[in-house]
Amino acid sequence: MLFLAAEPSAASTPTIDQAVLWAIMACPLVAWGLIALYLRKLPAIAGYTAILGIGAAMVLSYVTLFNVIDAGGGVAQYTHQWFTAGDLSVPIGVRVDGLTAVMLVVVTTVAFLVQVYSTGYMQGDHGYGRYFAHMCLFTTSMLGLVLADNLFQMFVFWELVGLCSYLLIGFWFHKPSAAAAAKKAFIVTRIGDLGLLAALLLIWTRAGTFDVTAIQEWAASGEVKSTIVTLFALGLFAGAAGKSAQFPLHVWLPDAMEGPTPVSALIHAATMVAAGVYLVARFFPVFEASADAANVVAWIGAITAILAATIALVQTDLKRVLAYSTVSQLGYMMLSLGALGYVAAIFHLFTHAFFKALLFLGSGSVNHATNTFDMRKMGGLRKHMPVTYWTFVIGSLSLAGIFPLAGFWSKDEILLDAWRHDRALWAIGAVVAFMTAFYMFRAIFLTFHGTYKGGEPVDHHDPDNHFHGDPAHPHESPWSMKGPLIVLAVPSIAAGWFAYDHMFKDFIEAALPHAGHHGSTFELGIAISSTIIALAGIGTAYAIYIRRWVDSASIRATFAPFALVFERKYFLDDLYEGLFVRNIFYRGWCRLLETIDRRVVDGIVNGTGQLGRAASSRLRAVQVGEVQSYGLGVAAGVIVIFIAVIVANPL
Amino acid sequence: MELSILIFLPAIAAALILLLPQRMEQQAKWVALAAAAAMFALSIAMFFRFDPGAQGYQFVERHSWVDIGAFNLQYFVGVDGLSLPLVVLTTCLTLASVLVSFSVTHRPRAYFACLLILASSVVGVFVSLDLMLFFLFWELELFPMYLLISIWGSGRKEYSATKFVLYTIAGSAFMLIGILVLAFDARTFDIERLASADFRDTLLPLGWVFFFLFVGFAVKLPIVPLHTWLPDAHSDAPTAVSVLLAGVLLKMGGYGIIRLCVTLMPEVAHDWDAWMAGIGAFSVLYGGFITLRQTDVKRLIAYSSVSHMGLVLLGIGALGSTGLTGATYQMLAHGLITGLMFVMIGLMYERTHTREIARLGGLARQMPLIATGMVFAGMASLGLPALAGFIAEVTVFLGAFQRFEWAVLAAIIGVVLSAGYILWMLQRVMFGPVRHEWDELTDQRHWWEHAVVAGLAALVILLGVYPALLMDVIEPAMTTLAARLQA
Repeated sequence: MLFLAAEPSAASTPTIDQAVLWAIMACPLVAWGLIALYLRKLPAIAGYTAILGIGAAMVLSYVTLFNVIDAGGGVAQYTHQWFTAGDLSVPIGVRVDGLTAVMLVVVTTVAFLVQVYSTGYMQGDHGYGRYFAHMCLFTTSMLGLVLADNLFQMFVFWELVGLCSYLLIGFWFHKPSAAAAAKKAFIVTRIGDLGLLAALLLIWTRAGTFDVTAIQEWAASGEVKSTIVTLFALGLFAGAAGKSAQFPLHVWLPDAMEGPTPVSALIHAATMVAAGVYLVARFFPVFEASADAANVVAWIGAITAILAATIALVQTDLKRVLAYSTVSQLGYMMLSLGALGYVAAIFHLFTHAFFKALLFLGSGSVNHATNTFDMRKMGGLRKHMPVTYWTFVIGSLSLAGIFPLAGFWSKDEILLDAWRHDRALWAIGAVVAFMTAFYMFRAIFLTFHGTYKGGEPVDHHDPDNHFHGDPAHPHESPWSMKGPLIVLAVPSIAAGWFAYDHMFKDFIEAALPHAGHHGSTFELGIAISSTIIALAGIGTAYAIYIRRWVDSASIRATFAPFALVFERKYFLDDLYEGLFVRNIFYRGWCRLLETIDRRVVDGIVNGTGQLGRAASSRLRAVQVGEVQSYGLGVAAGVIVIFIAVIVANPL
Repeated sequence: MELSILIFLPAIAAALILLLPQRMEQQAKWVALAAAAAMFALSIAMFFRFDPGAQGYQFVERHSWVDIGAFNLQYFVGVDGLSLPLVVLTTCLTLASVLVSFSVTHRPRAYFACLLILASSVVGVFVSLDLMLFFLFWELELFPMYLLISIWGSGRKEYSATKFVLYTIAGSAFMLIGILVLAFDARTFDIERLASADFRDTLLPLGWVFFFLFVGFAVKLPIVPLHTWLPDAHSDAPTAVSVLLAGVLLKMGGYGIIRLCVTLMPEVAHDWDAWMAGIGAFSVLYGGFITLRQTDVKRLIAYSSVSHMGLVLLGIGALGSTGLTGATYQMLAHGLITGLMFVMIGLMYERTHTREIARLGGLARQMPLIATGMVFAGMASLGLPALAGFIAEVTVFLGAFQRFEWAVLAAIIGVVLSAGYILWMLQRVMFGPVRHEWDELTDQRHWWEHAVVAGLAALVILLGVYPALLMDVIEPAMTTLAARLQA
């Protein structure tokens, strides 16, 4: 990639043809259509079709990336009209710049490797074809989100990735926990999407455009009332907080681990959950223009980072450790964006995608051997699965931020930006860095070191179980799974080296209308301190779980109240689901309205009917068939009318 | 000529069916299918021959009918960008409801005759440009509906049918007063001429007239608090009737509000716009909250319709071209989506014979195709992008937000509520552990079942991906109307 450094020239417009950009979306979409309509029942072909479709998108993404690099960043945009309704005009288009190109490459690369891995991991599953169809649809939607040139279109694909996430979390829909987790993910993210929808309405009403560049300039112009910009920014961030699992909407992501592990790797670690970070970065000038909104982003990010890290400390499920770690790292990225460290956040998104996908796929490989994710039933797997072990260690070192792995560079930039922006943010970041190193190596020591504890016995009565082999004798995974692990280990080590000579920075910053001063790159003091912190975390884990200088149970006993709070996830699930949704909302408010609807609203209707019947049965007494009484009635009526006419028209 | 064929073809087919000898009664469905298919084909042909750019009504037919000096009742029909899509929706859902009725064996001649007469009268409502004719078709629709629910329904079918008819008639009584007052003042029943009349000396204040007409349509739409007939009618109606009821009959209410209330009395509409938007938003929320409590799948979808129809009123209340276009789009989108939803529920009910959510569960394993269809319909119903409902909802929101920010901000909460009740319903009905009592049941398998589900789903996707197809027809008419409203 040296040619990149050789051309630090000013940004010019990429020359990529728009057909290529549309084709990036279309390739996986075609694969989806083929699988959904024809290949559901043909597992072998379905898997390869997905790989082919996503592989083609990957090749085109790299073509695009190199094209944008040649142009030194810069924006190419192709807009068409989608539909109009009265004053409303909705565009549809593609836009490519440094940020888009990086996202394209991340999404397609990870998606491609995950598909290859899935051919091994999902072997023999009932829903094999359905799985690959959903994966293709997801990839299409994610690419559409990244390529969109306007907020409306982003919202469309934003919701579609939510759908795919729902379908894939609930992939094993016969498991009640999976069905519940899928629903929870969709609804919780939709609560955040209310904010995004409100932002969409606001921007159309106030700025009359959905276009990304136009909105960026609208915010930066300084002519708009600052409360409007802040409201718009907060609306965007609410959507981002839902998708990127930020406090207080983070509760869905750990539950999302009910889905197949490759899904967790692709959607709930590397790509979709980073969409919120992408959204905030895409509209970064809006947050720059509103200091209040930026502060909210920073502090929500910081709270999320530390909240999730503390919960990760006490998890016994390997996948949940990774899930909370993901929440925590996403908080890190938000913290960085809020501290106006645009480049650092995207850089961390970039490196995190690789090593977190690697870690998830590694955990899947472990599950493939042991039939469980419970670390208490593992141990000693180092000997049985060397490839999984070493790649997992690489991923963990990268996540912990050890020099010279990828995570070191990006995490360091975030801490540096935090330090410059607000020392308190830096302090939180440093504590989180310590915890990250600690819980990752705790997981490694529990899973791969010590003696093997037998895994989970296979339940042969479960027709949905397709576990191969014997958990009592764990084995290394097949090449279709090992291969992606090894390939992902390469960027987990090396992806951070793009920090060299501001390569990544210049490239990414060209996507903004006003380049420059968006965070800095390296400072020795921060680098040394964060390395020491990470090493301390690893050392602590080593002391407790390998050397056993301190017993982990006694630590837990000492800090029992804290441990309880962490284990119960700060009681947030109980608060939301137990107290608020189930009792106050459902049994209280909705039941009250329903009772009113049945007793009062419908009661009046039925009451009117009964009144009518009762009245008519009384009045029936008048119709007795006696001519005399009818005559009397007629005469009385005539007299009444006569008097009325006289009164109304006095002559 | 085309519109007369659309009105009278099903009526003639109904007569033919009734004339079929007893031994051929199972063939009634084929006659009905032929008539419905012909109607659909004709309406599609009209859709593509329609010129959206032209002013005024098209495919017009005008004949004097009853001429009593001052009043000339006419047979006057025609369509514009508002009514033509609704006519296509009607023929499309008629075809769908004939197909889903293919398994009906109880008195099939009377059944299919009723369905066709229903279709005939609904088309009549949408194309009538004479108020008396309009009212005639409006009332005519009750007769087949009453029979369809009370004979081929289930549960408390007589109660529900009677409630439906009485409720509508009570609304129509108000409506008739309004119609007569307008017609007596302008000395015509001609909607085209009424639209340009300025009512100077009406018998009742114009605000009252607006209100009376509005009540008649509000019952049909339905809006809170005039909605309680709907869940009863839906839960006891046979599948095809639910499809037509939710898909088309409710739209008569929205159509009436736009065509009569707003078009004929624009000044009054301006006075009441905030009320309409507010009641619309209230219906969205109220319907959503109550839907969450439902335990019967059909009642659940019926209440969700109350919520979705609130959006129509919200869009109308904005009185702008975007809002009105969005409201119309929402009527069409909801017609297709809820039609599909009731088809899926019907297919499920035919097999399980229960709609109690608590008794269902895990059906996705035994009926993967029905489950897929229901998840699709559910996703469309909760406003997923790339499907028709999303375009409609967002257009309504964008149109109304310019004028009533508070109403829209309240109404968008409905987006979360709809996700809640739909996904929770799917979870309890389709997902979860397999229940072995349903092991013997078969999945969707007849050609007509596949045809209906695939056809409606394709339309829902088409209108979600390529909204311009329909928007370009609706929009000019609504822009003209909005311009009149601004004046």
